[in-house]
Amino acid sequence: MSLLQEEREIILNNEYVDTFDFAEVSEFVKNASKDLFISHHFKNKPLDKMLVQPRGGFPTYKKQFALNEFFVEANVDVLPLTIDSNTRLNDYATASKMLRLSEANDVDMLNGYPLVNHGYRTTRKMITHFNKPVSLRHGTPDARLLIETAIASGIFEIEGGPITYLLPYSKNFPLDKAFLYWKYVERVCANYSELNEPINRESFGPLTATLVPPSITIVIQLLEMLLSLEEGVKSFSVSFAQQGSMNQDIVTGAVIKKMAKYYAKQIDCEDAAIHLVYHQWMGAFPTNRDYAEQLINMSTVIASMVGADKIITKTREEAVGIPTKEANAKTVANTQYTLRILNGLPSVVDEEEEEILTLEVKAIMEAVFNDPADTLWRKVFNSIKNGIIDVPFSPHIINHNELITIRDPQKNIRIIKRGNVPIPDRCYAYEKGKCDLTKDTTSIVNDIIHDIGIMQ
Amino acid sequence: MKVVTGVVGNDIHVVANRLIDLSLRARGFEVFNLGVNTYLEEFFDAAVETGAEVLLISSLNGEAEGWGREVKALKAKYKHLDNLIMMIGGNLVVGSGNAEDIVPRYKNYGFDLVCHQVDLNTGLDTLEAFIQERNKQ
Repeated sequence: MSLLQEEREIILNNEYVDTFDFAEVSEFVKNASKDLFISHHFKNKPLDKMLVQPRGGFPTYKKQFALNEFFVEANVDVLPLTIDSNTRLNDYATASKMLRLSEANDVDMLNGYPLVNHGYRTTRKMITHFNKPVSLRHGTPDARLLIETAIASGIFEIEGGPITYLLPYSKNFPLDKAFLYWKYVERVCANYSELNEPINRESFGPLTATLVPPSITIVIQLLEMLLSLEEGVKSFSVSFAQQGSMNQDIVTGAVIKKMAKYYAKQIDCEDAAIHLVYHQWMGAFPTNRDYAEQLINMSTVIASMVGADKIITKTREEAVGIPTKEANAKTVANTQYTLRILNGLPSVVDEEEEEILTLEVKAIMEAVFNDPADTLWRKVFNSIKNGIIDVPFSPHIINHNELITIRDPQKNIRIIKRGNVPIPDRCYAYEKGKCDLTKDTTSIVNDIIHDIGIMQ
Repeated sequence: MKVVTGVVGNDIHVVANRLIDLSLRARGFEVFNLGVNTYLEEFFDAAVETGAEVLLISSLNGEAEGWGREVKALKAKYKHLDNLIMMIGGNLVVGSGNAEDIVPRYKNYGFDLVCHQVDLNTGLDTLEAFIQERNKQ
């Protein structure tokens, strides 16, 4: 028996799992409908059709089923399954208790669907009933049991990664452990991919959604992509969220597409399909629901300009709390409508900005590769530890917090203090040259506060 | 002057914490930032370890209300913290409340300076004025 299979048996031999039948699950994946695979849709959709995917998860099967019915009615392309916070922390006992309370009292005691507690036999009924691709949204550093359950249920897109699901969400979960747990995830996805269409892996580009400069976002997307491809994953989505400047988004989209192809080829993985996902604004939302709708609509326009393959939507109730199924479905219908009427978009290219961003990305990537460690994950781990990769506003203790960004007058995110991030001198001078740095630090802090809340 | 700061309890809201850090440095303080998700013991341990003169605790989700009650009892277990300037700021209650009720309550918990929903610069001005006043004495 392979080491991986031994580990799988240990993981799945869990008191919250009702006997995991490996052979049956493999047989299910092998014969599963192509419609359940987002990788199949990416391959066969018309070139300019962007897939629309909302967010959403409710504790009970009944409510999740009803949410999916609303989404299908609104012409959804990809269904979400968002997991509750207890499951994300592997606390299945609490999830189980809260699920029972939610079922007994008809009140939601969880902020998502406790997939492990529902189990794959139950959840598979829902997934195959709707016969739409489902994307697993979570935020779990140790997702081994969760993704086994997901794939066995017919969920063939797995979001997350060791960096993007840790740095924005955790203060002290050990990063080296996260890399190893995600290695397991990649391998399991790669193995199942050989049976039918590929399982798609998607990285979480928004990170902290707070003034993250595009160079850092792109580098982390590329590294998670490489960590996934080197384990044998054949379909991967890089992603980023609306940044606040349409031009910067278009430039980011162009550079991330080029760089993803370039680095995949470097490790002889050019046969893998790489896709681009765009998140509607992930920062602080306006409380005014009508403004929120306008913001969502604008995000859709920018996603089209960027040429994304999939868009992940927000709702008009974003500032208020967990959205109702009605509000959630409404966004899907509105986004599909906007996409249908958006025709004849001009092509915008900003060569200077693209060159600067490309130089920055390549310089950081080179510094990561030059780390003396023996494997890629260790190089990445060391690079985060020593601040070559620095994510603004990460709560994690390993993050350096020396990189400082503000917005220029066009609302582009600019690096005004590079810390240990190896931004080339020419690019650093260019970025700083766009900003008014004659102000004292107190005024700059006030500007940062303003820059975080620009959409409110 | 040394300041220990951080967000109390299981609160993970990091944005203001970073801004407090930046602003304190800009004002010339030496900052020991414990970050989000910090327990009271960790604050006092850090104050002892660094020899800080100011402890600035913040809260966004209002958890501070629960923790605040334990400040006096816990601080009494430490020697040499009698001169530590104790400051707290942010959203100091879960839900809504008004400063007239909240400020005296927190002073009673053992804080010298209490800033409920006060903007960052005003809060830090208050701290600097307090330090100046104390140095005169």
